[in-house]
Amino acid sequence: MTAEYWKWPESEWASKEVDCKKASIIVAGVDVGAISSKAAIMCDGELAAYSVVYNDSDSETCAQKALDKALKAAGIEKSDVKKIVSTGYGRANTSFADKTATELSCHARGAQYIYGPSVRTLLDVGGQDTKAMSIDQYGNVTAFIMNDKCAAGTGRGIETFADMVSVPIQDIGELSMDVEEDPEPVSSTCITYANSMAAQLMRKEEKNRVLAAYCFSVAWRDYILLMRLANQSGNGKVEEDLALTGGVVKNTGIASRLERELGIKALPVMKGDPQAAGAIGAAILAADMAASGN
Amino acid sequence: MERFRKLLEDPHRYAKEWKEKTGGRVIGYFSHYFPEEIAYAAGILPVSIFSKPDIEGISQRYLYSAFCPYSLGVLAQGLKGEYDYLDGIVHVESCMPIRGAVANWWDRLPVSFKHYIAMPSQLDEPSAKDLMYSELTAFKRYIEDWTGKAITEKDLDHAIEVYNTNRTLMRQVYELRRLDNPVVSGMEAMEMVLTSQIIDKEEHNKLLKEALNEISQRGDTENTGPRLMLLGSEISDTSLVELIESAGAVIVIDALCNGRNYFWNNVLPMDDRMLALAFRYLDKPRSPVKDESYRRRVNEIVATAIDYNVQGVVYAIHRFCIPHQQDRPPIEKAFKQRVIPLHAIEYDGTIPEGEYLTRIEAFIEIINIPTSVKV
Repeated sequence: MTAEYWKWPESEWASKEVDCKKASIIVAGVDVGAISSKAAIMCDGELAAYSVVYNDSDSETCAQKALDKALKAAGIEKSDVKKIVSTGYGRANTSFADKTATELSCHARGAQYIYGPSVRTLLDVGGQDTKAMSIDQYGNVTAFIMNDKCAAGTGRGIETFADMVSVPIQDIGELSMDVEEDPEPVSSTCITYANSMAAQLMRKEEKNRVLAAYCFSVAWRDYILLMRLANQSGNGKVEEDLALTGGVVKNTGIASRLERELGIKALPVMKGDPQAAGAIGAAILAADMAASGN
Repeated sequence: MERFRKLLEDPHRYAKEWKEKTGGRVIGYFSHYFPEEIAYAAGILPVSIFSKPDIEGISQRYLYSAFCPYSLGVLAQGLKGEYDYLDGIVHVESCMPIRGAVANWWDRLPVSFKHYIAMPSQLDEPSAKDLMYSELTAFKRYIEDWTGKAITEKDLDHAIEVYNTNRTLMRQVYELRRLDNPVVSGMEAMEMVLTSQIIDKEEHNKLLKEALNEISQRGDTENTGPRLMLLGSEISDTSLVELIESAGAVIVIDALCNGRNYFWNNVLPMDDRMLALAFRYLDKPRSPVKDESYRRRVNEIVATAIDYNVQGVVYAIHRFCIPHQQDRPPIEKAFKQRVIPLHAIEYDGTIPEGEYLTRIEAFIEIINIPTSVKV
């Protein structure tokens, strides 16, 4: 069997500080994305647990699997949860949810939980698409731009790249930083072009330089998206404070190059997991629902 | 209303049946600057050539793949024989990709009548009227030669009356969308305007009158979501409109070449019918390809949006559509200055439902942020 370099680790986490048994309001958020499902449990406004699992072809079962893992990590039953909000591409297929919301509004709320309320610009690099958003002090999305169709620069694109270069996906970022100077980026317009250029580079460059060229191209694509947002909604400058969410931003080779191009440091994580930001935001919306009695 | 939907399900059936029934000729056209009245006056059925995404890429044998999906799609339709009932093809000068599609169509597909109308590009220049007049006169002469029948003033008057009636009825439909609680959805309006381009206008007038009567019986509707304007490249079916409205918004107005712009102004009566027609086509709401000198289009679109109390704009542009991309910066700027949110979509003709629904729902969420919160 060939190695599956694309395979990132599924995960779950439970807070040691939050005791769900003592909570008065328990809510959940589920983010059914293009390649993974995430679930978050919140107790009285604090993150108690979350999970990240692979998707298969059935959104409903993937969402359920993520939720079950998060519930188990939190040590509670589904019947303990007062409200559930679902988000992501598969949100419409989550029959157990009380409400659905777009992943943009959920990521915005989730980002302000993870990075603090000062977040004004958010970049979410997900499995299938990339979204740049402007956010106000209340966590509302006030403007956004998304990439069009091609998966270049998204999680799916990086998965195919990992297999092509035979480097475990979680190692790509770190290894890409082990170069004296960044090479030119590979094409960022198309996943096929990017991989094809990378394959050509492999014949004449050290592997880490190929990784660097690839990470640079993803960062550059994200940079362009953020600049387009800045031109559309502001004065042409990316507004600080900047936050990054989605599984891809865990790749330090991409995040640091993006920061370099922007001349801005992204906010550090205060709590939670950027990959679960959508689920955390959905849980916050569920808490709002529970509080308002809707 | 059902009749409009049925007509769009197979946009070719009506013309085929009409031809069989009447023995008449059918002309296909690509640009909505095509002076349909002249063809109609000669007893010809003019039909707009609709595009469909060229999924198989068959038109890429003849056109650059970097041409817009609309031009690739129309040529593909021709190559696949979807329009094999056409007797003639007329091209009115528009953009280069469409010109390429037409040139290939003319070369590769059998039609007995091929004509090119050199529609002026600088519509405000004094020479525009003379050029338009001479081109329309020449077109009339070519049609007469082809059919072997002179087009009389009476024929033209009848055609103009039928077309003006259609435009007036469509304006009435669009007026009903201006209401606080629009009794006509964007989907219904788009079905009406698109079908007007593929069937005999006289018959379409009857259908519109019946529809208006049906609409007048309606009570409160569910069209209470955010009021949107649809702007951008031509559309050939209602899938985008349907998707937008399925997210809870209502499209109350459009500024599409084959939407509102198609019927917005009437032919005004003049002794010289050809001059009256020339003025009508010169005075249409501008398409981006005909708006390069004085840039009248931007202000006109924004004024219409304000007139219809629009809360947001969906700007859907075909990938590689140069005229609309060229238009985009001033239009985005104008709406930004008026604090009307705009969401741009660049698409290849296909509608990725999941992604676009997320975009539209997120856009609606932005519109629905309470005004007191918006700074």
